[in-house]
Amino acid sequence: MRLVSVIGLGNVFLGDDGFGPLAVETFRCEYECPSSVEVLDLGTPGLDLAPYLYDKELIIVVDTVHSDAAVGTLSIFHEEDFLSHKAKLRITGHDPGLWDALAHLRLAGHAPSELIVLGVNPESCEFAEGISDEVSSTAGQAAAMIAHSLTDRGIACDPRQPPAVLKLWWLNKGYVERSAAA
Amino acid sequence: MARISIDPVTRIEGHLRVDVEVDGGVVNKAWASCTMWRGLETILRGRDAREGWVFAQRFCGVCTTVHAVASVRAVEDALSLEIPPNAQYIRNLILIGHALHDHIVHFYHLSALDFVDILQIPKADPAKAASIAEGSSSWTGNSRQELAAVQTKVKGLVASGQLGIFSHGYWGHPAMKLSPEVNLILFSHYLQALDFQRKSCQVVAILGGKTPHIQNLAVGGVMNAINLNSLATMNMDRLGMLKAILEDLIPFVQQVFLPDTCLLAAYYPEYFRLGRGVANYLAVPDLPLDAKASKFDLPGGIIMNGNLAGVRPIVDWQDAEFRKAVTEDSTHAWYQGGGPLQPYKGQQIPDYTDFKEDAKYTWVKAPRYNGNPMQAGPLANVLVGYASGHPLTRKWTDTAFNRIAAVNGLKVTPDDMQSTMGRYLARSIRSSMLSDLALEHLQLLTTNILNGDDTTYNAPQFPAGEIMGMGMHEAPRGALSHWVVIDKGAFTNYQAVVPTTWNASPRDEKGVPGPYETSLIGSPVVDAEKPLEVLRTVHSFDPCMACSCHTLDATGKEIAQVKVQ
Repeated sequence: MRLVSVIGLGNVFLGDDGFGPLAVETFRCEYECPSSVEVLDLGTPGLDLAPYLYDKELIIVVDTVHSDAAVGTLSIFHEEDFLSHKAKLRITGHDPGLWDALAHLRLAGHAPSELIVLGVNPESCEFAEGISDEVSSTAGQAAAMIAHSLTDRGIACDPRQPPAVLKLWWLNKGYVERSAAA
Repeated sequence: MARISIDPVTRIEGHLRVDVEVDGGVVNKAWASCTMWRGLETILRGRDAREGWVFAQRFCGVCTTVHAVASVRAVEDALSLEIPPNAQYIRNLILIGHALHDHIVHFYHLSALDFVDILQIPKADPAKAASIAEGSSSWTGNSRQELAAVQTKVKGLVASGQLGIFSHGYWGHPAMKLSPEVNLILFSHYLQALDFQRKSCQVVAILGGKTPHIQNLAVGGVMNAINLNSLATMNMDRLGMLKAILEDLIPFVQQVFLPDTCLLAAYYPEYFRLGRGVANYLAVPDLPLDAKASKFDLPGGIIMNGNLAGVRPIVDWQDAEFRKAVTEDSTHAWYQGGGPLQPYKGQQIPDYTDFKEDAKYTWVKAPRYNGNPMQAGPLANVLVGYASGHPLTRKWTDTAFNRIAAVNGLKVTPDDMQSTMGRYLARSIRSSMLSDLALEHLQLLTTNILNGDDTTYNAPQFPAGEIMGMGMHEAPRGALSHWVVIDKGAFTNYQAVVPTTWNASPRDEKGVPGPYETSLIGSPVVDAEKPLEVLRTVHSFDPCMACSCHTLDATGKEIAQVKVQ
């Protein structure tokens, strides 16, 4: 039974919005966890997020957030920070899906016991290939923060020796060699 | 005369703005505007044609699989490459799993609250509600205890004053008509639907390796290894697991989802006379049964001007007329150029101007079929099937009509289906059909494997010169086609003509509006501050703007604004 999910949210073709997928892949390469921990790049699923939160013990969502901090700042938020609006935060396009899915699950009695959001302040979430240097350079730190959040809750999570090589299909150009026809 | 602007329309995927002009409480003009830019197709140019599907399935965060499958079908079409029957069945099962998921989420989580009034639920009598629900369905989740428990939760929610995501509903609106008991039944299924949303995801995950973003596709077939003696591959255990999940899921579709839409129809008969809109329908054949894709379990066809006696069948994906008839026009869309272009020659160079109702006002292009706007979606699928005498479509459509009549004697005809309510009903009829077909295709796959066929892939060979191809899929929101031009194994052009582009189409070069826009003409608006009637018709199309325009709006607003001028 997989009870913990580390979920990267974001569109890999929208510049810094691709941070969530990048951070969870970095975590997967650098850390080893028991099989109860699932690491998922879910893209931008909207309300379809609900099945992945259903009856879980702990969810760590990695996403871009808008707050007053500088570009590339990593922060951890708890569900109540968003619901109380005290933090005046707004996650990019994925926000409605996350809170709606949570509210549905809560009413149905299948909400995760705990949900935390590891957010980064983006420079730009416009259509672009690749992530800004300020944001991508924090991926290693984000992976360490995910690991710390897990070990804090008694879930084993050790550095992988040696780390696996990060392979990101969306940053691999993959162009076929062609004549100048294009 | 009032001008109402709903921006963004909520409870849809992506961002949509709808403007209507209301005179004497009735809409007389409408504009649909997608407020996100389309750009992903640009990324596909220059890519290896064998991996296009990996990128295409990020067109949208919701309908990932549909773009993946349409992409490989387009490349296979360009290569005239057949794929093994096992690959067809596996793809079909993935597509069915995805469609069931999508239709369930649309009805319960994206649109039911347009008709269900949460604040009425505390007044319901759970025993009476249970007898209504159990009287029309053999579903076991309708007991008095079950419904009373849901009522207690809702009472708690209402008493807390913190309705959360439910706080923006139009509760108490005069257009809300369900009895407290029916409100309770539908909301209880709204909560139960979450469980079945999960089960349909499992079907996709078992076959696709992962969901969202399946991993098992390839140009030429699928990458699922089949070996009945191996624990690690597709074997009898895996097939048995799929059957068990489907047997859990299907009763919810056929004994809960379908009856619920029939209840809704019986209580809101006026919506059979609203929202007809563009009565030209397009459905493409899907669920191929053989390697050549010459036979299909879902028929395709064209219906013009609402004439159900005159279906022009689309027999297979080679249909010559379809390949010539589809164009996209940018006269009213924020792209350079105007005039209709065939998709192989399609362009998307941005030309943003702000919302100008007489000029450019949306990121969605205007697709046309022989110059005509077309409505795509489950309704087109059901009408084409019904009008062409497809037995499975007839069986479930007639079942729905009989169920509605059993509620309160309302008689519904196929022609009445050309309406807002018809679109809601068509989605549950189609889901019931797909449920039957899921078991059939699982049986086809199992039999084929037991007969000793373990082939899943034919390797593609790319020729030196330029080739073109088109891949179709009858997706949850309707007819989808990907059009590709390939040179030396790489894309030189890529265009996706998606269902929401057909339906959310702006006016074309002749000023003819698209299906959303046309469907709103004549809609009543009782309260201009709360244009619930407009939302019901817009939601009946299941808008998913993410792929019709392809990107998310990173500056999105938090809540919907309704501006009345």
